[in-house]
Amino acid sequence: MDFTLSAEQSELRSTVSSFLRKRYELEPSRSAARSSIGWQPEIWQAFAEEIGILAATLPEEVGGDGGGAVETMVIAEELGRALVVEPFVSTVVLGAGLLRRAGGSKARAVLEGIASGRERVALAIDEPDSYPSGYEVATSATRAGDEWVLTGTKTMVGDAPLATRLLVVARTSGERRDPAGLSLFLLDFDASDLPADVKVHSYRTIDDRWAADIEFRDVRLPAEALLGEADHAGSLLDPAMDEATAAVCAEAVGLMRKVFADTVAYAKERRQFGQPIGSFQALQHRMVDMHIELERSVSAAYLATLRLGDAPDQRARAVSAAKVTLSRAAKFIGENAVQLHGGMGMTQELAVGHFFKRLTAIQAEYGDADFHRVRYARLSDHRSRAATGEAGVRSGAVAVG
Amino acid sequence: MDLQYSPADEEFRDEVRTFLEENLTPELRRAGRLATSVYHDHEASMKWQEILRRRGWAAPGWPVEHGGCGWTASQHYIFSRESTIAGAPALSPMGIKMVAHAIIKFGTEEQKEYFLPRILTGEVFFCQGYSEPESGSDLASLAMQAVDDGDDLVCTGSKIWTTHAGEANWMFALVRTTRGPKKQQGITFVLVDMKSPGIEVQPLVMTSGEQIQNQVFFDQVRIPKKNVIGQIDDGWTVAKYLLEFERGGSPASAKLQVQLDEIAQAAANRPGPNGPLLDDPLFAVKLADLRIRCDVLEVLEYRNLARLSEGKNPGTASSLLKIINTELSQDITVLALEAAGPQGLAYQPHATMPGGPVHDHSPPQDGYVSGEAWQAVAPLHYFNDRAGTIYAGSNEIQRNILAKAELGL
Repeated sequence: MDFTLSAEQSELRSTVSSFLRKRYELEPSRSAARSSIGWQPEIWQAFAEEIGILAATLPEEVGGDGGGAVETMVIAEELGRALVVEPFVSTVVLGAGLLRRAGGSKARAVLEGIASGRERVALAIDEPDSYPSGYEVATSATRAGDEWVLTGTKTMVGDAPLATRLLVVARTSGERRDPAGLSLFLLDFDASDLPADVKVHSYRTIDDRWAADIEFRDVRLPAEALLGEADHAGSLLDPAMDEATAAVCAEAVGLMRKVFADTVAYAKERRQFGQPIGSFQALQHRMVDMHIELERSVSAAYLATLRLGDAPDQRARAVSAAKVTLSRAAKFIGENAVQLHGGMGMTQELAVGHFFKRLTAIQAEYGDADFHRVRYARLSDHRSRAATGEAGVRSGAVAVG
Repeated sequence: MDLQYSPADEEFRDEVRTFLEENLTPELRRAGRLATSVYHDHEASMKWQEILRRRGWAAPGWPVEHGGCGWTASQHYIFSRESTIAGAPALSPMGIKMVAHAIIKFGTEEQKEYFLPRILTGEVFFCQGYSEPESGSDLASLAMQAVDDGDDLVCTGSKIWTTHAGEANWMFALVRTTRGPKKQQGITFVLVDMKSPGIEVQPLVMTSGEQIQNQVFFDQVRIPKKNVIGQIDDGWTVAKYLLEFERGGSPASAKLQVQLDEIAQAAANRPGPNGPLLDDPLFAVKLADLRIRCDVLEVLEYRNLARLSEGKNPGTASSLLKIINTELSQDITVLALEAAGPQGLAYQPHATMPGGPVHDHSPPQDGYVSGEAWQAVAPLHYFNDRAGTIYAGSNEIQRNILAKAELGL
């Protein structure tokens, strides 16, 4: 058991954190998020060129530094602490995770572009009539000679308005709820310059990010748009989604560290009835409960991160445990941070309100708590599982007496 | 960073597993499985202590020269975790895990020589005399009067919540030797022979019907000064030192995981609204939630273990872990009671192995049990487990400690 960062990982943490402290302020990032651009391209370029976090976790053969799950966790946590809206998880964790697994020269070129800051990737998977994160896909891709014809509508495609590429999950065989029969397609994308057969509605999300609904009307794609093997996108999606989920868990830890620290500091400063409100036991105990949720969250993020390399069921189970834990904590800490800030917590004047909105959105991203509870329950059923004897995966396996 | 045991730890784990497999009889495992509270059947505990003593593992946390094992923090954790998973009865924490450490740290050579070997063999069995009827969470306000009279202290008053006072032949107690402006001063830590004239033990019947706790009355009880641990009037120092051991980092997650496994197994064989109870989505989700909390607790324990292994003080982590594990434990007893269904309403302590004698209950002559033993355990465990958030510093006190020491409020 080892919970210490290596020297390189600690160095990475302090590099990211000191860059963000100096260069990433809340006010300009909010202004950018609400402008028509929606983000700060110069910050993204600095992520690539000055602190190297876009390449840190990519393979060396595409210009990356070969970092792993712990590096992703370190970066995501720091980005959360500064409430960074730029699309790190969707591009560098999820997008690159899919491209890396798919392989091939096209994927490789995009990965090189991610490492250097040129490319941003959005995954189009959820649909207006699908259960979120459930791989319920009606959008179809059919073969027409050497080409594929893509038809269907995707919704809440995170970061699509800023993306240079789309990864689209489409059905190439099977029925709508069939977990098999899905394929992954790579499309060039520019939300401001669209072909006639692609319709995009961009919108801002409640946490000042951007997403889009996208309609594909018989879009003709070249054969090489298919990534990996047809009908087998599930084998790429499962691990990449788990990695992205673990990363947003780490991001949530960063967000909660910041709002919690702000809340405790505020309770020490704010005076009512002639004394700091932090001297009241009811508020002290509330803050201790926030502290407990935070400590549980840190442990859960470790659990998810350190199990990403395990066998698929163990990995998925740890990730689901983490997301359930983090979602609960994000709600509790977010809501109570607002409550303890009183009326000021309701405004856009203080950071807490902005963090609260991100903490609210993050609960639903990559599967909400109920989705992960159900997945965890299925994976924990002792009737279908073998004993392993490892941390966080043992229960359900031992018959006593 | 990693979540793996080292190869040396894995080797140790295998050694512990082999030992447990060879030595835990079905009767001993029964005491663990059918326990209704943290206090396991006394006789089974003492038998297991003797088996451990012969192996040299009864008091692993003691210094090697007194019979300890010199284990690393992770070896202690592994031993405790594996013992729990295998269903070993829990030993009483009062002697080996608590007062012995006070004797080792503050005791005279004579005290060490007399008590330590006898604690190991079980010849000396301790109970704890801290709380008083008027001093619970505010322990330092304790008032049991101890008057200096030559070679003795003469004690009058009473102690309460004394677990196993009926079984114990010795008590370690805090008594008031001097009354001054600061309540923490003037307290003395003493060892009391329970056979001393003037001691009367009155059992308290818990809501579960079990007599586990007691009130102990002292009427002019003479305690020789040679049985004082540390200095007269300086007992608070000793008590504070022991608090670390009371709250200290033994793994609670293993026990809770075993309980959840048992609930899952039982629910697979209980009728639910639509097939087995385990397949009821509402039940499955509640079970999943508790298991998730347990998985996370396990990682919290590993983080604490990692700090201890680096030689760091656990700090406020023991308060944090105490809150998390006792509240989780209570929620698990709720689900067990729910899984037990209608039979969970039957009062059947005779089907369990309670932590003490049961009051006002005559088992049926034919030994009949409605349902299964675990269903009889469920309600008693639920009632008894309410103590978890009260004892060893109530969870409200733990939250006060965290607010002050961790958050600086």
